[in-house]
Amino acid sequence: MIPRTLQITLSVAVICYFIIILYYLKRKMLELKYTLVWLITGLIMGTMIYFPQILVRFVRFLGIESNMNGLYILCIAFIIVILMTLTSIVSRQQLKIRTLIQEISMLEKRVRELEDETENVAAEMRCGDE
Amino acid sequence: MKEQAKCLIIIPAYNEAGNLEKVIDNLTANYPQYDYVIVNDGSVDATKKICREHRYQVLHLPVNMGIGGAVQTGYRYALENEYDMAVQIDGDGQHDIAFLEGMIQYMEEEEADCVIGSRFVKKEGFQSSGLRRTGIQFLSILGFILTGVRVRDITSGYRLVNRRFIKSFAQDYPTDYPEPEAMVIVAVQRGKIREYPVVMKERENGKSSITLKKSVYYMVKVTLAMLIRRLSFGVRR
Repeated sequence: MIPRTLQITLSVAVICYFIIILYYLKRKMLELKYTLVWLITGLIMGTMIYFPQILVRFVRFLGIESNMNGLYILCIAFIIVILMTLTSIVSRQQLKIRTLIQEISMLEKRVRELEDETENVAAEMRCGDE
Repeated sequence: MKEQAKCLIIIPAYNEAGNLEKVIDNLTANYPQYDYVIVNDGSVDATKKICREHRYQVLHLPVNMGIGGAVQTGYRYALENEYDMAVQIDGDGQHDIAFLEGMIQYMEEEEADCVIGSRFVKKEGFQSSGLRRTGIQFLSILGFILTGVRVRDITSGYRLVNRRFIKSFAQDYPTDYPEPEAMVIVAVQRGKIREYPVVMKERENGKSSITLKKSVYYMVKVTLAMLIRRLSFGVRR
C-alpha cells in the first residue's frame, strides 16, 4: 500500500528517532519514566510503516472515511495526551519546589540565628580574655 | 508562657520595605505578647536589608512564590514551632493588630476554628470601592452556595486559625489569591468559621496586589478554584 521508497524514508526517520532517544537516555538527559511513552510512540510508528492495514482498519472502525484525516486526528489526540502528561509533571514538580523553598527558608532562619549566637558567644569570650 | 495560648502573627511581605518598619516596630513595641514572623517573598527591594538591620524574625524565600506560598511558609513555621494559633496579616499596615486580642477571645468563646477579620460586619473604616465590593459579594454568595457558610468579607486577608487548620494549611494551601479558596477548605472540613468586626485602613505605601486590570482574571480564577475545591472534596455529610 505504501510505496517502497517512502517506506524506506520513514524507516530511516523512525530509526533516527530511536537513536536520539537512546542518546538522551545514555547521557541521562531523559528520565526513563518519561521516556517510556516516547518509546511506545516509536514502536507504534514503526508498526504503521510496515502494516498500514492496521491503521486503515482502525480508522474505519472509528468511522473516519479518509485515511489521512484519520492519521492526523490520531496524531493530534496523541500529542494532546502527551502535553497533558507534561503539564501534570510540571505541576507536581512545582509543588515539590514550593515545599523545598519553604523548607530552605526555615533552615536559613535557623542558620542565621545560630550564626548570630556563635558570634555573640565569641564576642563575650573575647571580652572575657581581656 | 504555657498557660496562655501561643499565637503567631504571619506577615507576608513582597517589596514592602516602605511599610514593614512601621508595622513591625508597632508590633514589638505595643504587642510584645505575640510572636511574629515575616515571610519575605523574594522581595527585590530593601526588605531583606531592613530585616537584617533590625534583626527581625524573618523567613527569606529565595524566589518569589506569590502570597499563597508565602503564607503557607508561615503556617509551616507555626506548625514546626508548635503554635496554638496563627493569624495572618498584610505587611502593608492595612490590618490593625489592636483587634487581635478580641479575635482570639472571640475564637475561644465561640470555639471557632477560623476567625476572619471582617470589614462588613460593622461597616466602619475603609470599605474598598463599589466594584470591588460587588465582586466580594459575588464570591461570598458563591462560597455560601458551595459550602452553606456565609462569610461576608471573604477576601479579607486578616484571619486567625487554630492548630487544626495550621496543620491543614501547612499541608495544603492555595497558590495565588488564596483567601476565598482557603475559606472553602475550612468549610468543607467542617471547621467553624466566624467573622469578627475590624476596621481596615487604606494602604499607606505601595500598590494593592490586585489592580483593576487583573480583577477579571482574579474573579475567573478564584471562582474556578472555589468550584474545583468544592468538587474535589465530594459529597460528605
